[in-house]
Amino acid sequence: MSKEYETVIGLEVHVELATKTKIFCGCPTAFGGAPNTHTCPVCTGMPGSLPVLNKQVVEYAMAVGLATNCTITQYCKFDRKNYFYPDNPQNYQISQLYLPICRDGGVEIETPAGKKTIGIHEIHMEEDAGKLIHDEWGDCSLVDYNRSGVPLIEIVSEPDMRSVEEVISYLEKLRMIIQYLGASDCKLNEGSMRADVNLSVREAGAVQFGTRTEMKNLNSFKAIARAIEHEKNRQVDLLMEGKKVVQETRRWDDAKEYSYAMRSKEDAQDYRYFPEPDLVPLVISDAWIAEVKARQPELRTEKMARYKQEYGLPDYDTEIITGSKHLADLFEAAARLCGKPKKVSNWLMGETMRLLKEEEMEPEELKFSPEHLAKLVDLTEAGSINSTVAKEVFEKMFHEDIDPDAYVEEHGLKTVNDEGALRAAIAQVIEENPQSVADYRNGKEKAIGFLVGQTMKAMKGKANPGLVNQILKELL
Amino acid sequence: MEGFEKKGQGKGKNKISDETMEYVGILAKLELSPEEKERAKKDMEEMLDYIDKLNELDTTGTEPMSHVFPVHNVFREDVITNGDDHENMLKNAPEAKDGSYLVPKTVA
Amino acid sequence: MPMKEIRNLTALQLAAKIKQKEISVTEAAKAALEQIRETEPALGSFVTVDEAGALKQAETVQKKISSGELASPLAGVPTAIKDNLCTEGLRTTCGSKILGNFVPTYTAEAVRNLQEAGAVILGKTNMDEFAMGSTTETSAFGATKNPWNLSHVPGGSSGGSCAAVAAQECFYALGSDTGGSIRQPSAFCGVTGLKPTYGTVSRYGLVAYGSSLDQIGPVAKDVADCAAILETIASYDKKDSTSLNRADTDFTKALTAGVTGMKIGIPKDYLGEGLDGDVKAAVLAAAKKLEELGAIVEEFDLSLVEYAIPAYYVVACAEASSNLARFDGVKYGYRAGGCEGLHQMYKKSRSEGFGPEVKRRIMLGSFVLSSGYYDAYYLKALRTKALIKKAFDQAFAAYDVILGPAAPTTAPELGKSLSDPLKMYLGDIYTVAVNLAGLPAMTLPCGLDKKGLPIGLQLIGDCFQEKKILQAAYAYEQAREWGLSPVAEHGAEGIHQGKGLLGRAGFSKQIEEQEKKEMESLQKEREVNA
Repeated sequence: MSKEYETVIGLEVHVELATKTKIFCGCPTAFGGAPNTHTCPVCTGMPGSLPVLNKQVVEYAMAVGLATNCTITQYCKFDRKNYFYPDNPQNYQISQLYLPICRDGGVEIETPAGKKTIGIHEIHMEEDAGKLIHDEWGDCSLVDYNRSGVPLIEIVSEPDMRSVEEVISYLEKLRMIIQYLGASDCKLNEGSMRADVNLSVREAGAVQFGTRTEMKNLNSFKAIARAIEHEKNRQVDLLMEGKKVVQETRRWDDAKEYSYAMRSKEDAQDYRYFPEPDLVPLVISDAWIAEVKARQPELRTEKMARYKQEYGLPDYDTEIITGSKHLADLFEAAARLCGKPKKVSNWLMGETMRLLKEEEMEPEELKFSPEHLAKLVDLTEAGSINSTVAKEVFEKMFHEDIDPDAYVEEHGLKTVNDEGALRAAIAQVIEENPQSVADYRNGKEKAIGFLVGQTMKAMKGKANPGLVNQILKELL
Repeated sequence: MEGFEKKGQGKGKNKISDETMEYVGILAKLELSPEEKERAKKDMEEMLDYIDKLNELDTTGTEPMSHVFPVHNVFREDVITNGDDHENMLKNAPEAKDGSYLVPKTVA
Repeated sequence: MPMKEIRNLTALQLAAKIKQKEISVTEAAKAALEQIRETEPALGSFVTVDEAGALKQAETVQKKISSGELASPLAGVPTAIKDNLCTEGLRTTCGSKILGNFVPTYTAEAVRNLQEAGAVILGKTNMDEFAMGSTTETSAFGATKNPWNLSHVPGGSSGGSCAAVAAQECFYALGSDTGGSIRQPSAFCGVTGLKPTYGTVSRYGLVAYGSSLDQIGPVAKDVADCAAILETIASYDKKDSTSLNRADTDFTKALTAGVTGMKIGIPKDYLGEGLDGDVKAAVLAAAKKLEELGAIVEEFDLSLVEYAIPAYYVVACAEASSNLARFDGVKYGYRAGGCEGLHQMYKKSRSEGFGPEVKRRIMLGSFVLSSGYYDAYYLKALRTKALIKKAFDQAFAAYDVILGPAAPTTAPELGKSLSDPLKMYLGDIYTVAVNLAGLPAMTLPCGLDKKGLPIGLQLIGDCFQEKKILQAAYAYEQAREWGLSPVAEHGAEGIHQGKGLLGRAGFSKQIEEQEKKEMESLQKEREVNA
C-alpha cells in the first residue's frame, strides 16, 4: 500500500522594482536597448567605482513590506554575497543577509478550505545580474550588463504552501499588491517577477520537514505548476525507493519538462557574506514609515468597496476589473472622462474580456487608451453609432488603439437619423416583403423584427434602430 | 568545512589540510602550483596561529564594528545621470563582440 | 631659475613663484621630467611617466593661471599619482600584471580635485601590488629603490610616491594608506605624509584594497605642503557613500598655532620590545623638542596595540578577497590564454595575473569568511576593532595628540622582507591601529639612523583633528635643527654612485649627538658592571 505524502512549499520571489534608475548608479532601468548601453563603471564592476543607494528602492521595499504586514527593520544593512559568475560583474552581489529591510509578514489567500495566511519570512533588497547570451554555434557566451544593478526585492515566504493552487494563489496575491503599489509591473514573461520554489515532501501527519530542494528558472505560472508537480513526484519516488532527497539547487527546463541539479565542483555555495563596507547602514524612523504608509495608493480591497459605493458596480464587475491594476486604472480614467462608469464597465466586462480570451492576452497587455474608450461610450450613448457599429469600432480599437471619433467619421459609420432616407428605405422593404407585412398585420408582432433587420441591412447597419421601429410601425 | 583542525593552545596549533587549500582555492578562484600550495599552507597556518591571539581578548558584550562613524542614510535620488559610454568601456575588455563582453561558454 | 634650484622648492614655494611669473609651469614640469629621466633607471618610482601629457597639461594650466582663472595655492605644480588611483585615459595598473593594460574611463575624485586646482600630472607611481606590502617589492613592474640608499627598500605600499618626492622627481604625490601605506614609506624616504580621517577624501576611483580602511592622502616635502594638498583633495563626494561632509577642511589655517599647552601622549607600548634603538632615540628627541616648545608630554598605556595587527589582517584580507574578485579576465585586464571553459579561465587568469603576496591575502581572506569561520575570525576582528576604537577614544580624552615611531626600524635592505610575511606584517605595528579606528595620522622626518637612513616621527590625532597634528608637526618642523631636503649637491650622480640622493648633511649633527649619548650609556653600564 502506498503512503500518503504531503508537499511543503516555500517561495523566494524576486521582483524588479519600477525605479527609473538602477539600485546603486544613475543608469536607466528601461527594458531593451542595445547590449551594455545602459551601463557605467559602477554596474560593470570597474575598479574604484562605488555604489550609492537609490532612495526610491528603499521606499518601494518598505511599501511592499507594509502592504504585506511585515515589520520594518529600522536599522538595516547591506551585505556582500560572494560568488563568481560572468553576469555578476563584481563577482559579489550586494544583498541583505543579516538585517533585511522587512520581516515577519504574511498575506491571506483563498483556498477551497477557506482563507489561509502564507507567512513572509523576510523581504530584502538586492541588485539584479546581467544577461548571458549563449552563442549557438561558437564556444562562447556574450555578457550584457544592461540588467546588472536593476533593483530587486526578494520576498521569502515561510514553507506554508501545500499545493500548486496555493502557490499560484499566493503569487497572484503578491502580484496584485505590488502592482497596486506601483512598485513593479510584475511581468513573469519579461522576468520582472521570478519565483524560486523550495519544496520538500513528508509523510502525511509527520511533524518534521523533509529535505528540500530549490528549483530555479521558473518564468510562468504554468512552468511553476509543472515544476512543482514534477519535483513532488521525483521526491516521492525517491522516498518510496528508500532513497534520500539531496538538498540541492535544481534548474527547471520547461521545454523538456524536467529539472537537473545545478551543483558542480566549482560551485561551493559558500557565499562568504559580510557587511558591505562601501554602503552605510539605513536608519528608518517611525516618521519615515508613516510617510510611506500615508503615500500608499488604494489597494484592491479598498478599491472594490469604493467601486460598489461610488459607481454602484455589482460585485462580479468589481472583482473582474480590480483583478488587474491596469484594468482598474483604465476603468477609472475612462469613467472619469465620460461620466458613465457602468457603461465603461460593460465594455470591459463584455467585449474586452471576450477579445482577451480570444487572443490569449493578459489585461496588462491591453493597448487602447481610456480616452478612446470614453469616446466610444459617448458615441454610443449619444446614439451617434449603433451597437453593431460600436462593436466593430471597439474591435479595431482593441487591436490598434484607433480614435473612435476619427474612425467613425472616416468610414462613414454614423447612424443615419435622416427620416426621409429611412422612410424611402422602409417603403422599399415593405414592398419587397409582403408576407412579413401580412404576418404583422395579422397579429404576429415578431414579424416586425425581420423587417427592422432588412431595413438595417439596406442601410448597411447604420440606421438608428429606434427610429426604424417607429417609422415601420407608422407605415404598417 | 572539513580538514581544518584547531588543536590546543601553543605554537603551530592550526593545521590546514590539502582539501581545505583546495576548497579555498575554489572559493577564491586561484590555482596554486604544488610548491605555491605548500608555501601558502604554511603561511596561512602561521597567520592563523597569530590571529588566534585575538582569543586572549574578552570581547563579550562588544558589538562588531564595521563602520567607524555612525553615518547612515546616504542616498541618491532616482534620476538618470549616466549616458552611454559602453564603447569606451569595452576597449578594456580582453574579448568583446557585438557590444558585449565575450566569455567562454557558460552552459554546456 | 636653474632646474636644480627649482627642484629644491616645496610645492607651495613653487606655486608662489609660478604665480609671480618667476617660473613657468612648463619649466617646472621640465625640471621634474629632467630629474625623472636621470634618476628613474636607478630608482623605479614610476610605473608610467606621461611626459607628453604633462607638457600639454602645463600649457593649459599656464594659460589658466595667466588669465587669472586659476588661483589655487598649488596651481601649476607637477605631481605624481599612486597607480591605484584611476586616471582617465592614463593606464592604471595597481602594480599588477592583472591590470597591466587597464585604461580607466574615469578619474578618481581626489585626482580630479587636484586637476581642478591646476596640478600637472607627471605619471603614475609604483606600489606594492594592490597596495599589499610594506616594501614596494611586490609590484609586477619591479621594485622601487630607496633614494637614500639604493640597496634598501623605500617602504610601502606607496613606496613609488614617497621615493619620487624624496628624489625630487615631483614636488608632491598622492598615496593611499590602508594600514600605514603612506606613513611608513614616508618615514623610510624622509618625506612628510598624512593619512586623513576616514571619509575625508573620497575613495571614488581608488582601486579598493580594504574598503573600510583605505584613505588617500598627500606625500610631500614638508608639513605646509601636506596641509595645502589635503585641503585641496578633501571633499564631500556623493559618489562615495562613506564620504563625510566636513566644514573644517581649511587645514592650512592651523599650522602656526603652536603647541603651548598641547597635551601629547606617548604610548609605552610604542616604545617596547622590537623597537630599534636609533629610532627610539630620534622619536624621544623629537618629543623632547615638542616639550621644549611648550607641549605637555607624558607616557601612557594604550592597551590593545598587540591586537591591532591580527585584527587588521583579518579585516583587510577579508575585504580584499571580495574587492579583488572582480579581476577575473572578463571585463578588463589580463585574461590567460588557452583555457577550456569559464572556471579554468577564471583560475588561470587570476593565478597568473596576481603575485604571491596578493594571492596569500586573498586565500586568507576567503578562508576567514568561509562557512563556519566567519564568527570566529571576522566578527572577532570587528569586535576587537570596536575595543581599539574605544581605547583611542579614552586616550584622546586625555591627550590632543599621540606621538610615536612610524615603524620599528628604518628601511630594510631589498630582498630581506618577503621571505617571512608574518615578520613583515609585524612591522605595521604602529600604523594599523590608526586605520582600524579611522583616525588621522602623519609622519615626518625626525632623524637618521647610523646607516644614514631616515627615521619617521608619527603623530596621531583624534577623528577630525588633522589640524592638531598638523599644528604639532609644523611646530616641530620649524624647530628642527637640520634642514629638510638639503642635499641636492649629490644630484642624480649621487644615486649612480650609490650614495643615495639626499645624503646625510644636516642630519650629521644629530647623529653625532645620538652616538655620543649611546657611548655614554654604554660607558655607564660598564661602570656598573665593573
